[in-house]
Amino acid sequence: MGGYGDVKLLNDDGTRLDGRAIDEMRPLTAEVGILPAADGSAIVTHGLNVAIAAVYGPVEAHPRKIQRQDRAVVDVRYNMAPFSTSDRIRPGYNRRSREISKVTAEALESVVLVERFPRAKISVEIEILAAEAGTRCAGITAASLALADAGIPMRDMVVGVASGKIDNIVVLDLDKAEDNYGQADLPVGILPTTGEIAFLQMDGDLSPEEYNTCMEYNFKAAKEIHQIMIDALKAKYDGGA
Amino acid sequence: MNGAAEGAEQRLVTPGEVIGTSLDKSAGIGVLSQGEGMIATRLGWVRENNDTISVDPINSRYTPRSGDLVIGVIEAVRNNLWFADVLGPFNGLLPMSLAPWKVEFGAARQFMDVGDVILARVQEVDESHSVVLTMKGVGLRKLKEGIMSSIPMNLVSKLKGENDENLRALSTASDCRVIVGENGRIWIDGDSTGIDLVRKAIDLVNKEGHKNTFQQSLSDMIGNTPGGAE
Amino acid sequence: MVELVPSLLRQELANLAEDDRRIDGRSQWQSRDIKLEVDCLYNGDGSAKVTLGDTIVYAGVKFEVRTPWPDRPNEGSLMCGAELRPIAGRKYEPGPPSPESIELGRVVDRGIRESGCIDLQSLCIIPGEKVYGVMIDIHVLSDGGNIFDASALAAIAALRTTTVPASTFDIGDDHPLQVSKAPMMCSFTRVGGRYVLDANEQEELGGNERIHITLGDDGHLHSLQKGLKGVFTPAEFAEILDVAQLRCTELRDMVSAKEAN
Repeated sequence: MGGYGDVKLLNDDGTRLDGRAIDEMRPLTAEVGILPAADGSAIVTHGLNVAIAAVYGPVEAHPRKIQRQDRAVVDVRYNMAPFSTSDRIRPGYNRRSREISKVTAEALESVVLVERFPRAKISVEIEILAAEAGTRCAGITAASLALADAGIPMRDMVVGVASGKIDNIVVLDLDKAEDNYGQADLPVGILPTTGEIAFLQMDGDLSPEEYNTCMEYNFKAAKEIHQIMIDALKAKYDGGA
Repeated sequence: MNGAAEGAEQRLVTPGEVIGTSLDKSAGIGVLSQGEGMIATRLGWVRENNDTISVDPINSRYTPRSGDLVIGVIEAVRNNLWFADVLGPFNGLLPMSLAPWKVEFGAARQFMDVGDVILARVQEVDESHSVVLTMKGVGLRKLKEGIMSSIPMNLVSKLKGENDENLRALSTASDCRVIVGENGRIWIDGDSTGIDLVRKAIDLVNKEGHKNTFQQSLSDMIGNTPGGAE
Repeated sequence: MVELVPSLLRQELANLAEDDRRIDGRSQWQSRDIKLEVDCLYNGDGSAKVTLGDTIVYAGVKFEVRTPWPDRPNEGSLMCGAELRPIAGRKYEPGPPSPESIELGRVVDRGIRESGCIDLQSLCIIPGEKVYGVMIDIHVLSDGGNIFDASALAAIAALRTTTVPASTFDIGDDHPLQVSKAPMMCSFTRVGGRYVLDANEQEELGGNERIHITLGDDGHLHSLQKGLKGVFTPAEFAEILDVAQLRCTELRDMVSAKEAN
């Protein structure tokens, strides 16, 4: 969270700078099966964010030392394309991407039935083509859809969603200005069927009460996003038997 | 997949969806029993048989089972065995002793090299998912002529049809020998016109195999060919 | 990862070539359908997406302001790079840039640079102090064969629809990037003993060497590259060069039509 106080993020009528209500998320669209080379794939646009995910596998895990005798490993690579942000990103090693990849992999391992595939690896590639705050959440949602599209067994999908605080008010789904000048951001990965949480990060400053409001908004939005995900998966196989 | 009742409303479900209670049914393939609920673990069609509820996947990778007829491609050769890619998570292992020839130790490469295509059966799958193949059995052999294609393995039964009816009709109409491996690989041998027809049928399965209009479309295609049977 | 080539595939491709046929029914010099979208990435100063059969490639253009090289105080710079990340296909592995991705980036880069389509002096802001650096990044999302032509087309289409974000750097108003020419690339792969245009994934898998030709508006050659194991004769090259001339003109028309919109 950047410095705050000098940038006003709420209009006088209580709406946000882009006109949204405080508990309103940016528009989200989803489509699956978009990459012919992959076993499963999906694109999620969330506001101005564009996240594409591909799944390959399960295949034998290489090198041997990463194999687990009792389960598959989920190998996630979250990457921002060089042209995805206002300042070009140099391709290559990046601490932020490594961290997001790690916690996203662990979130997905919590739902994929990894014990069905000992010694195997399931690769999940997340590419961010346009970034405007909230890419890790769009990436998680896209990854879940790609896993479902690939036919990987899992007990639920993970929905990526975030809330935060601007001008001392809790709001759903921060955009770029709100992320830069706001006071807190709480991205989570929610299992919509069970109501469990598989992904959690936060930075900034939230009171316990504000945290609760954030979570309430997040769960409400997750339900909406989940329906969009279901529709996207069903749309591909429309007219099926 | 053949269990899909004609005309019955088919239900498409997504992973995590609650599709019933565990009180009256037991969980089959693609279903997880969680508390009192039954949860779909894959995108697919719900199928209820007697007391079991399962989900037929719309897309999935091949999981070898003992007894499966598969088409493999030799990926590596050792002194006394071959490794073959069968489109599963792990390579199949074909020991010298299960080859159709009498092979001397160290001479494996003289019989089959990397890239060769084989018709084999899955002999055994152990707990850690290692796959042993055999080429001892009627018709199992190295495929020297013909072409190889593939479809998603979950559409294999669609292409074959009930009691292999589609497959027989396709063979007759195209005058080709057609073998469909359980792993989704297909081997076709015949003249170029015949191969083109089988290829068209394969394209149709790939594009429309999941639709309920598929059977009719396939019948139309095979029937429309001059000299085609059925 | 080394790809496995089934012996039956090589055999089939050879048989088809003998009958002057291709595995997907195309004729020898026929390309797959191309879909070109421009200005499709929110944060790109220029962008394009090319769908060529099962191949999907994005290109994005970004600017930076930097000090010029001491020996060229009046010139900005142009750089084109490609990423072949594991999302593109099973054969691509994570890690530092592979020789394949470096080759792809450099071959596309040469075609654009050597055509002289961008006047590097026009990228100078204050001689000796400030110049623009233009960076084209190619991102292959799905390799269904012939990523070279898809990448080159995406790169030039993105460039030709680029806006210089001058206001972001407090250098004046945003304005279109001047790109005076439209170099186009055409690639040929030896499949079943003969060359074909725009090989698909199976043809590349069971094929041999490839030749990439980049031609300018006037039909001049700007970049050539022979890749993979294999040899060719001068007569073979003469034939594919003729095909390339025709094909590059078609591609150029396609890009012009997009610019007009």
